[in-house]
Amino acid sequence: MSALLKKDWFGLGLVLIFGSILISLFKPAFISPFNLYVLMLSVSLMLVVAMSQMIIIAIGQMNLSVGAIGGLVAISFTGLMEVYSMSILPAVLIGLLIGLACGFINGYITVKTGISAFIITLATLYIFKGMNLGITEAQPFYEIPEAVKFFGNAKIFGPIPYLVIIPIIITILMWILMNRTSLGRYMLAYGNNVQSSELIGISSTKIVIYAHVISGLLAAIGGMLVVCRLQLGTPNIGDSWLLPSFAAPVIGGAILAGGKVDVIATAFGVILVSIISQALVIFKIDPFFVQIFLGFMILLAVFINRYREYREERRTKVFSDE
Amino acid sequence: MNNKIPNFVKTNQFGLLILVIVFICIFSFSTDGFTSRFNIYALSRVVALDIMIGLAMMVVILTGGLNLSLGALGVSAAMFGGWCMESIGIPISITIILVLAFGSFLGWINGFVTVRTGVHSFIVTLATMSIYFGFMTLLTEAEAFRKLPEAFTDFGSLKLFNKYISPLLIISVLTCFVLYYIFKYTDIGRKLIAAGANPDAAELSGISVDRMFIYCHMLSGFLAALAGIMLTARIGAAIPSMAGHLGFDWLLPAFLAPVLGGTLLSGGKVTVFGTMLGAILVTLINNGLYLIDVGEFWVRFFLGIILLGAVLLDRAREYFTVKNSIVS
Repeated sequence: MSALLKKDWFGLGLVLIFGSILISLFKPAFISPFNLYVLMLSVSLMLVVAMSQMIIIAIGQMNLSVGAIGGLVAISFTGLMEVYSMSILPAVLIGLLIGLACGFINGYITVKTGISAFIITLATLYIFKGMNLGITEAQPFYEIPEAVKFFGNAKIFGPIPYLVIIPIIITILMWILMNRTSLGRYMLAYGNNVQSSELIGISSTKIVIYAHVISGLLAAIGGMLVVCRLQLGTPNIGDSWLLPSFAAPVIGGAILAGGKVDVIATAFGVILVSIISQALVIFKIDPFFVQIFLGFMILLAVFINRYREYREERRTKVFSDE
Repeated sequence: MNNKIPNFVKTNQFGLLILVIVFICIFSFSTDGFTSRFNIYALSRVVALDIMIGLAMMVVILTGGLNLSLGALGVSAAMFGGWCMESIGIPISITIILVLAFGSFLGWINGFVTVRTGVHSFIVTLATMSIYFGFMTLLTEAEAFRKLPEAFTDFGSLKLFNKYISPLLIISVLTCFVLYYIFKYTDIGRKLIAAGANPDAAELSGISVDRMFIYCHMLSGFLAALAGIMLTARIGAAIPSMAGHLGFDWLLPAFLAPVLGGTLLSGGKVTVFGTMLGAILVTLINNGLYLIDVGEFWVRFFLGIILLGAVLLDRAREYFTVKNSIVS
């Protein structure tokens, strides 16, 4: 039990359960099938985006271009199907390839020049977004194959949409990567301390490029899932991803300096953000409040993390005194 | 041989100056109208704002931090100013003082939370960005203030020096000189730089690093608010969306100018005139791209490429200067 208490996701999980019960007591509409369906859709999409940012946070960097990659892939995916009447599978593959290439560019330039990933991804954010606007001239693509529309709209059973399948698989894979593979452990080691990880023989080039490539792939998947959901490919897909992509991992206890992320806590962070946004809608609160709320949640999470660190420090100090 | 090259030539600013001159030559020869009175006046109005935004970011980069809330903060302050002038009818001069105080206060919040939590200012200002912008949108109901006093809007469209230069540019250049003076010759300026360069050493020599960092964030808020007022004067109205969603339109110029100007992202170095030259270069390129007619949708793409090219070039320059100094 005490081991459970120490986990980042445990407290979040409690907040989630009690919060949901409280909200549904006041507003039974909260657990109506339709509402659960909408909730699951928003969770699925943001889950992928949050994972895409989380892996970069793990290595102690930031990726501002997550949304731009998602948008570029989204319009390429739909453009290939509409303009070149390509079938779905090759279009998906090319979409993934674009995401991979974008991630590779981010990672390669960052690690080879030693310039902060913040600046590199700010530049590539404009490059990818510029390509997006240059290609589409800000016009959406509407012609989406029925199968894609079906995937974005249909339910497996009850309120559970098909769309949740891929994000759940991704979350499991990410958990395995971060907790059970040497690559994931190396990433955390690199994020924790670049010099010492290099001294024990971890290749920074490999780690940084892998992390950015995975981030790019996840952003690409996120972009294509949004296309399924919206049933069209608009150039502004991904524009609003920046804040939520950082919110979920930070609420989940990730330290921006790198070296500490928790996949389950990040997933709970996503669910928490979605539930709160949804609850604000149900209680008929101005949508702009959702944004303010998200901001305050990040600050609150930051303060709580700080307090826990402080307590941890004090405890270890007592032990060393004895 | 190395000793014969004057120090100035080795600096980043010199490279920038050359680039500015080169681009001016390219655009004057390859496009019509680049040197026209109308275009130069338009450029001076845009450059004025870009310099101010760049300076506002520079003073936070000095601490090794970032200020993502810059645009949201500037627009919030400008909307506050619009409200003061239009709804309450406060005189212009007092409004400006109030707006600058308000901007400094928002900056203080950024600084206070950053210092107290010890979290990177990126995440703090990411949060305050959405908080400021959200509150601003809620309170204004996304409505613009369009009936500002004429004396105020007239100032924004004033033309000086044979109708070539906007007075806004003069404000920005003056601000540059003031900041240069502060950082170079005043006690507090030196302390700010020391705190940014090596917080531990500064703390040990009796400088309150936390307070210095809060000052930097307040200065950033002050300059962002000033940029907000200038933009309001330029447009002739205070519009919630004038810096884009969440103030994002300001972010690229904000980072481009100081980074091009040679400000280190790790903190501890400011280059006021480098930032000014960086802002001039960005505006020139932006303007030139429109005149060359690359298509408005591709402008962003080229700006991204230029930012990337600039930081890579700077990296190469650093590499060669280090190599040269080792050889000699």
